[in-house]
Amino acid sequence: MKMMKAAVALGMALTMTVTGASAVFAEGETLSVATDFEVKTLVPWAASEENAFMVLNQAEEGLFRMDENNQPQPALCDTYEVTDDKLTYTFHLRDGIQWSNGEPVTAADFVYAWLKQMSADATNGYSFIMTDYIVNGQEYNEGTVDASEVGVKAVDDQTLEVQLKSPTPYFLNLTTMDMFFPVNEAFCEEQGANFALSPDSMLYCGPYVITSYDPAVGVTFEKNDNYWDKDNVAIEDAQVRVIKDAAAALSAYQAGELSQVKLDSANVVAYKDDPEFSQEIDFRTSYVQFNLTDDVMSNVNMRKAISLAMNRSALTDNILADGSAPGFGLVADGMSGDGEKTFRELNGDVSPYDPEQAKEYYDKAVEELGGAPSEVTLLVADDSVSKSVATFIQSELVTTLGLNVVIDTKTVQGRGELMDANNYQFAVTAWGADYDDAMTYLDLWTNGTPYRGNYNDDDYNALISDAKTQTDDAVRLDDMLKAEKKLVEEDAVVAPVYHRGSAVLTKSNVKNLISHPIGVPIEFKYASFE
Amino acid sequence: MLKYVLKRLGYILVTLWVIVTCTFFMMKNLPGTPFDAERFSIMTPQQQERVLEMYGLNDSLPMQYVKYIKNMLKGDLGTSFTYVNQDVSKVITGRLGPSALIGIQAVLIGLAIGLILGILAAWKHNSGIDYFTMILAVLGVSVPNFVAAALLQYYIGLKWGVLPVGFWTGWNCSVLPSIALSFSATAMVARFMRTEMLDVLDQDYIITARAKGLSQMKVLMRHAVRNSILPVVTILGPIVVNLMTGSLAVENIFSIPGIGSLFVDCIKANDYPVIMGITIFYAAFYMLIVLLVDLAYSLIDPRIRLAKGKES
Repeated sequence: MKMMKAAVALGMALTMTVTGASAVFAEGETLSVATDFEVKTLVPWAASEENAFMVLNQAEEGLFRMDENNQPQPALCDTYEVTDDKLTYTFHLRDGIQWSNGEPVTAADFVYAWLKQMSADATNGYSFIMTDYIVNGQEYNEGTVDASEVGVKAVDDQTLEVQLKSPTPYFLNLTTMDMFFPVNEAFCEEQGANFALSPDSMLYCGPYVITSYDPAVGVTFEKNDNYWDKDNVAIEDAQVRVIKDAAAALSAYQAGELSQVKLDSANVVAYKDDPEFSQEIDFRTSYVQFNLTDDVMSNVNMRKAISLAMNRSALTDNILADGSAPGFGLVADGMSGDGEKTFRELNGDVSPYDPEQAKEYYDKAVEELGGAPSEVTLLVADDSVSKSVATFIQSELVTTLGLNVVIDTKTVQGRGELMDANNYQFAVTAWGADYDDAMTYLDLWTNGTPYRGNYNDDDYNALISDAKTQTDDAVRLDDMLKAEKKLVEEDAVVAPVYHRGSAVLTKSNVKNLISHPIGVPIEFKYASFE
Repeated sequence: MLKYVLKRLGYILVTLWVIVTCTFFMMKNLPGTPFDAERFSIMTPQQQERVLEMYGLNDSLPMQYVKYIKNMLKGDLGTSFTYVNQDVSKVITGRLGPSALIGIQAVLIGLAIGLILGILAAWKHNSGIDYFTMILAVLGVSVPNFVAAALLQYYIGLKWGVLPVGFWTGWNCSVLPSIALSFSATAMVARFMRTEMLDVLDQDYIITARAKGLSQMKVLMRHAVRNSILPVVTILGPIVVNLMTGSLAVENIFSIPGIGSLFVDCIKANDYPVIMGITIFYAAFYMLIVLLVDLAYSLIDPRIRLAKGKES
């Protein structure tokens, strides 16, 4: 019986620790959204996942912030000038902007954060987002130049000067990303390894401050009274909750615990006519990557045949059925083109479905290879969506071409390792745009690594490097249109499959809860309750 | 007695060392690296170098092992790869609370209901309550706990709105998951108790007790139950460990930040220090519970003596 008593006492002690930490989620009108992954880190130069970007975007702010139409609008920056060669930007910070502890946000805070992101300390793999553009960024990363020689300088407390290597029409878009948010040096150094591990070990300059953070539970927010634009922030309390199970998230939404919930394909049909239902396309493309050094896949006609044989609309309408769109090109639907038309509209379908032509290419390939391959192996990750995509490709290729496909399922890590080791024939992989410009996709295939199929084409590289140095936006766009055509249509290095879509239910009293198709999935700042 | 416990603790340490060593080398053979391949491949060589150095992955494998053991003896389990800059011990203890609370409650529920049902079923052998218990036992063992969890969530959480459908905001959040987890424990306890009781009730000393004119209650409680409870104590060890170390399915359904999902996540992400930390914890915990169960035997059944030698 003593043991029983001890067990009860232990249980009670545990209960107390639980209820002690229970005031985490406030009751009342709280904007509440779910994420299906843990928020594993909030350290800006270590965070590489969408949900961390989402959290940081509510609590911090950069020079610019995306508006409802996905256009960058001045945020901590008040005004800015660009020189005629489009290489030097001078940003003037707003008067009176403050950190949550009352200290002013200065140009030096930007310099500190940007240098950190460009340094070898950055472990999120996003250094390129600065070092590709900022003068001497790459050299600083490699340790060959001093911080003072990098093209980002605080002229005075309120003036930030940035020098770019080449004209970058989307540079302002980049400054909306969390890597470009300022960090207070004195505070960060004082916190050391504890920086950003808890709400107290961070400073905030965005619309909200974080009041609690647990990687496995989520994040709660409260409106930031020191925020310069607080009059335009309507909602006082908000939260991001970690709910890994899609069905559980839907239950929570129905029980009124969530303001918005993402639907999985099984539920899309059931809720399609619900007034709370809406769907949109993310700037994210899933595609088949061919390995150009493989005996079979090195044949361009084989690659073209495989790409043409896939009826992508059947996949998105019948199998995925979650609002995803067929991938008729690498660059996602809706990404910006010339300002009037989108990139996709300008370039048309570069990876269409055409079974007859597919068969012709296949016969040609078989002839060139000296016989049909007995089977080919498709490498995929082990999540349920990837597996159904793989099964779809398998059945398309066998029915249209008579080509047998073996599906090799690996963990995401295992798939990546095999691809890096050049140990695959073709694989299903995906890329989400980092910024709203076709370049976010196109320059991936200039490095010739096994992960990108060992594609190393001088003409393609020339198009990309011209686009990167071009001051004339029309020529630049033309370069990129040609590059996509070459990569997908002519050389068939990749076969785009679909652009990920998401279907959501949103409570009818929640207005203006914006979802951006890139980077930050949900934006709290503009939302309000009715 | 003390000597016996010390000896057992010694065995536990040796076993732990073997487990740590095996896990360490097997884990390093998991496919993939702890880093997102796509992101890692676009890091500069300087950054890749820095990352490997930061996590001590650029040493040779034996060297990494020696370093790990050294730090472990100092009580330092390292920092997590995926939970940047967070101590492994903190990551684990943070996730242990919810799993332990739910587990303990599930054990208590399972023990209470299982014992009562088992005793009643044996006492009223071949009656309605007996059949009911047996059906429940079969259901409890064969229906997976996530089915029970989903049903409880849907009806009690959503339809009737009595308890939260999930999350971890207070004690009331732990009720449904505890009940969901307790089904299998209830079934197992009930079945073991019933079988053993039936056996014991046929024994001569029970007939003797009855013949002495003891009341039904006294016969049951003083003679039958005490003699039948040993198998239940035996299975209690594994049950406690099972329930307290968390259930991935139930934790996911109720969105509970428990240790079960942490274990699966860290293996998927190749977060080596967390994998090691949880393995050490699970192994040590299991062995200690088994030791406790063995000690409990001698309290319940004086015929069992743990230490050799003279009678105490």
